[in-house]
Amino acid sequence: MNDLLTRDMLVKWAPLIVLIVLVLMFALIEPRFFSVRNFARIGISSAPALMVAIGVTFIIIMGSIDLSMEGTVSVCAVAFAFCFLALGGTLWSAAWLALPLALVVGAVIGLINGLVHVKLKIPSFMASLAMGFVGTGFALLLTGGDRVRIEDEAFRSLLTVRWFNFPIMCYVALAFLLIAWFIQTRTTLGRNFYAVGGGEELAHASGLNVNRVRVLGFMLAGVFYAVGALLAVGRIGIAETATGSNFMFVSITSVVVGGTALWGGIGGVFNTLIGVLIVNVIGNGMVVVGLPGYVQDGVLGLLVIIAVVLSTDRKSVDFVK
Amino acid sequence: MSFIKKFIEQETINRRNLLLGAAYGVGGLVAAKTLGAGSAQAALTDPAVAWSYRNRTNPYWNEIVSGGEAFVESLGKSKDFLTHLINEGSSEKSLSDVKSLLAKTNGNLALAIDTNDAPNARPVVESVAEAGAYVSTLWNKTDDLHPWDFGDNYVSHMSWSDEGPAEKTARILLDAMGGKGGVVHLGGIASNNPAIERLNGLKNALKDYPDVELLDAQPADWDTQKANQVMSSFLTRYGDEITGVHCANDTIAYGVLEALRAEGIEDMPIVSYDGNPQAVDLVGQGKILATVFTNPHWGGGITAALAYHAAIGSFKPSEEPNEHREFYGPTVFITPDDAAEFKKSFIENVPTYDWTDFWGPSNGQIMYK
Repeated sequence: MNDLLTRDMLVKWAPLIVLIVLVLMFALIEPRFFSVRNFARIGISSAPALMVAIGVTFIIIMGSIDLSMEGTVSVCAVAFAFCFLALGGTLWSAAWLALPLALVVGAVIGLINGLVHVKLKIPSFMASLAMGFVGTGFALLLTGGDRVRIEDEAFRSLLTVRWFNFPIMCYVALAFLLIAWFIQTRTTLGRNFYAVGGGEELAHASGLNVNRVRVLGFMLAGVFYAVGALLAVGRIGIAETATGSNFMFVSITSVVVGGTALWGGIGGVFNTLIGVLIVNVIGNGMVVVGLPGYVQDGVLGLLVIIAVVLSTDRKSVDFVK
Repeated sequence: MSFIKKFIEQETINRRNLLLGAAYGVGGLVAAKTLGAGSAQAALTDPAVAWSYRNRTNPYWNEIVSGGEAFVESLGKSKDFLTHLINEGSSEKSLSDVKSLLAKTNGNLALAIDTNDAPNARPVVESVAEAGAYVSTLWNKTDDLHPWDFGDNYVSHMSWSDEGPAEKTARILLDAMGGKGGVVHLGGIASNNPAIERLNGLKNALKDYPDVELLDAQPADWDTQKANQVMSSFLTRYGDEITGVHCANDTIAYGVLEALRAEGIEDMPIVSYDGNPQAVDLVGQGKILATVFTNPHWGGGITAALAYHAAIGSFKPSEEPNEHREFYGPTVFITPDDAAEFKKSFIENVPTYDWTDFWGPSNGQIMYK
């Protein structure tokens, strides 16, 4: 049999093929879809979601799940906005400190999340969902329901300044994607994620401190949520409790559509990139080809199921939980 | 004259009249009590006051409830005197909370409520009437449910019709477009009544502008980020054909403005709805051409006030005309000319309302189609 067409190869490349087919399909229906300007728009809507999805990718590779992203993104966005304004309100002053501070806030929330999960022995599904609610509530407490506007031209250049037709935020997202790839493939921590996801008992028996890996994983995810929060604020210039809304659906869907298996051990950050692009191409494409609003949600659901069917190797598992 | 000036003047006059009226009413009540004019319809003494609503995370409901708190403070009580029943979007919870509170207070209750959905209004009102308590509703009720069918206990219902005001802002938009070109609409959650009415308002206005084409209307779920993405997709599909944007509310407009900014488009005519403080600022800068303020603070306060004053017998609902039992809430238009004035009188200082001026700022009896 031809080596290029083995099952493994097909499964590996299926998400990319799905993406290419979708792009061609939308381009055929509406040629205006296939333009650099529109790709830039898809890039803008994908960048924050990609960061959040990369964060949760690490967790899913470990075979856990993290549903705290909406709360974490809101808290990071609001904390960033308040500090940014308090420290001067422009990147050319001490206010740039708000950027690393937001990442620290994300890491701390992830740390708490991980400790609750590991130390109190609460399933990650429940622990992180609860932490998400705590985060949303906390963000509401901070803002009192108001929106915080970030007007600084330098910070907003994330959106307004373009290199080669794409705004800076796309390149920032790309840079963090490379960092995530580096962590995944070139560090012990990254390889440990796969070890835990592939067989926790085995990993434990071979002397790996599984709990430590888990906590570090949640912290790392928190940092990426914070980057997502910064890009989300950069995109609309507003930090509010609702900044985190919808990130849960988009990020989990993207990870799964990209071919990372929910049972852990399989996939990676480049799968997530493809997954995020698939979800955003579908979202953008449906409006561009002019599907009525009430059909869109249904079509999105169907396309997601089809994409998962095509892009995950279901043969390798005996049961689905 | 600007909308705002008219509104404030109308307010002042009404307030003066109603202060007199209220003084007379309270005087009469005291007289009736001293004369021992028995309580045929037993008025309540010192009833508990409660607001039942979705939750406080939404700025709109936050404003509503802050009005309720301002009202109980005007009675000389602390904010905490107001009982909050939070239904989190569940009609079942809304009803069971009301029943528990009725049992707890033994019917000595003045309730302001949005019943979460229209069918839930009837069981709520019936439980309240059965317990001898008093209720005023906001937003949701079915068309066949009327306060006057329940004597005094179902005090009033207030709602807003957004079709007319949305049509008016649409006309401002279409005029700014020079009466030609293409307009897109970004709506609320498709099944929400205000979302439907606001789109209808645009469609009504478009009948008089044959040279303007409605290019597309898509739901943006009242959400800034969703609006941002929908608007950028519109720009792909229609590009330069879009010469105006009609937004179902302010939060949507923020997302639209940012999607346009990303493309370097600065002078697109946009109108919105709700009159949020930031939108008012944007109207002042001319970035939004018009928005509509529905004064939720007043709406929340007056709904509680109506139930309370009916409960203590300040007025007898069954003796009021129907337009005092079912009425539309206020709408104030904000355009660049009056944004500064509006900001001064409504945002920088929340006006101290006379909570016995029940119907002054209201907008006529509710009409059913």
